[in-house]
Amino acid sequence: MFSAPILGQAFVNGLSLSAIYVLVALGFTLLFGIMRVVNFAHGAFAMLGGYALFYAYGSFKVPYPIAVIGSSLLIATVSLILERLVFRWFYNKMFQSMIGLMGLNMAIVYTSVVIWDVNERSIPAAASGILQVAGMTLPTDRLVIIGIALTVLAAFWLFVTRTKSGLALRATAQDVEIAATQGIDTIFIYKLAFFVAIFMTALAGALYAQTYALSPFMGDRPLMVAFIVVILGGMGSIPGAALGGVLLGFSESFLSTFYGAAVSSFVSFGVVVALLVFRPWGLLGKPE
Amino acid sequence: MFSRLKLFAMLSILLFNGNAFAQEELKIGGIGPLSGGGTAWGLAVQRGMQMAIDEATKAGGIKIGGKTYLPKMVMYDDQYTAAGGRTAADRLINADKVKFIIGPIGSPSVLSVITVSTPANVLVLSNGYAPNILKNDAKSPFNFRVMNSNVEFGPAMVKWYRQNYPQAKKVALIGPNDAVGQSVIPQLEAYYKANGFDVWKELYDRGSKEFTPLLTRMMAQNVDLFDLNSNAPGEAALMLKQARQAGFKGMIWQVGGPSVDEIIDIAGPLAEGFVSLNVFDFSNPQAKSFVDTYRAKWGDGVINAQTPGWYNGTKILFEAMRRAGNLDTVKVRDALEKLEGYDAGLFGPAVWGGMADYGVNHQLMMKFWIVEVKNGKLITRAALTPEKK
Repeated sequence: MFSAPILGQAFVNGLSLSAIYVLVALGFTLLFGIMRVVNFAHGAFAMLGGYALFYAYGSFKVPYPIAVIGSSLLIATVSLILERLVFRWFYNKMFQSMIGLMGLNMAIVYTSVVIWDVNERSIPAAASGILQVAGMTLPTDRLVIIGIALTVLAAFWLFVTRTKSGLALRATAQDVEIAATQGIDTIFIYKLAFFVAIFMTALAGALYAQTYALSPFMGDRPLMVAFIVVILGGMGSIPGAALGGVLLGFSESFLSTFYGAAVSSFVSFGVVVALLVFRPWGLLGKPE
Repeated sequence: MFSRLKLFAMLSILLFNGNAFAQEELKIGGIGPLSGGGTAWGLAVQRGMQMAIDEATKAGGIKIGGKTYLPKMVMYDDQYTAAGGRTAADRLINADKVKFIIGPIGSPSVLSVITVSTPANVLVLSNGYAPNILKNDAKSPFNFRVMNSNVEFGPAMVKWYRQNYPQAKKVALIGPNDAVGQSVIPQLEAYYKANGFDVWKELYDRGSKEFTPLLTRMMAQNVDLFDLNSNAPGEAALMLKQARQAGFKGMIWQVGGPSVDEIIDIAGPLAEGFVSLNVFDFSNPQAKSFVDTYRAKWGDGVINAQTPGWYNGTKILFEAMRRAGNLDTVKVRDALEKLEGYDAGLFGPAVWGGMADYGVNHQLMMKFWIVEVKNGKLITRAALTPEKK
């Protein structure tokens, strides 16, 4: 069982899983980090990203790179209406945001049921080949996801470290009042953070739907994954989300491959429970 | 003038009230998964029932003991879970006062529903593969199974496979870690071993979408055959797709489901060569009228092959009510048990069986088919009938 090809395959599977989990968690942790909002509607926005890609790439046959970025931008833009009407009332109100956004999640999901019915749909794969490398199998659509995850992470890192808006975002995350006194338009920064967070969430949802299946209820699993990854890595920490996603992805791959699904679930959730007991702020988060 | 108006009003009231008493509403409960991976099956329950109801309504209602009843569906989503089934049954029985339920489809849900329906003397016509849906100390006084379970089609299918693929040695079974998987996997394991197979098995948490690590584990066991068994359409389709993407070259088939159309939709060309149980032959001339009616109502989308079975079950229930001449569930139950030979139009004469396996003859024995995906279309490999024991 512990042969080189199996170990190699488990590593490749872990990489692919980690990419999905990191993407799914990024938007969630960004909203919390900047606005202290626990976005229980995270899964719903991921689902909307899936439907947007379904129409852009699956129905209207827009070229894939334009479809996947364009559909996520569209969801992020339209979601600014919800930012104004709903999210803005919950900034820096963590507990109220949980309940309010849970309600928003249900509203979005069941509106989607009315519009699109409950049937699961599939989105055509971006690439359909399978590469064989040194006894390991790499589906090319998973390579696309890994590539997109790395690109998004790199682009986001460049944005927050090399641009003025990124610097303003970090300052606002540290202390919104001091940032305002320094002349930063914090309302604009909140909108920008919201837009970027929903863009990343919609993108993650589009790729998730393309890899698995699309339905109004597909967002439940990404929400659960986002929670676990973010708790592991630290709420509000982008590097923490990346680390948490990688840890969860690789542990799930190796444990499931060598010990089965039950052991994998037990250990994964057991680690999360232990972390909450001994280090509740996560691996890279800051104690409150 | 006012006295004429009053007379007219009184006559109108009498006329409309008279009409209201001519046809009473008869609520028929429905339970099935209308969300999540099992949605295709829940829609099959809903639409199959609705077609039977529409037919009865078009015929002027069901004549039961001198009264005419217009059936009306009241359906709830059980999310394919025990808790969902229990909640749905509670609502139907206690709030909606329903005495007849069609569904559910998943064993966890059925087992939960009958804990509520049996004490309330509510008749349940369900699916679900767990044997103890029918085999229990109470001898299932008010529940019937109107679709084949693993016990009915499993032995015949595995025997057919052994006869047609004598070289296969080892089979993999991956199923959900709930009442469905925990009852079906041991049954199938026994059938495969009786036919000379080695069996490797693994369970996963229902709701999972990523199976690649488990499939890598499966491929390390050098299996020849992968049976999707009792997995819901969404999960079965993803397992097949991910198995092929992971490089699995052996045959993939499903002794269960069926989920063929959903698998073709989600797995696309990767579904080529997939073999499966199918519970209805849509190419049969008898099916044309059914298919035309379905398409007129719900368009050109996939018709899940369980839909005709639920239509059949609902029609059988209506016929039992008619023969009982009464809506008392004990009398309808007795009429149901004596309904052998009644042909609802799609599956031939009804046959009840199951005494040897369950201790009660409440299992409808239905013809089934084995189909294969070739160039994106289904071809029939065999037509089989369960053995009445």
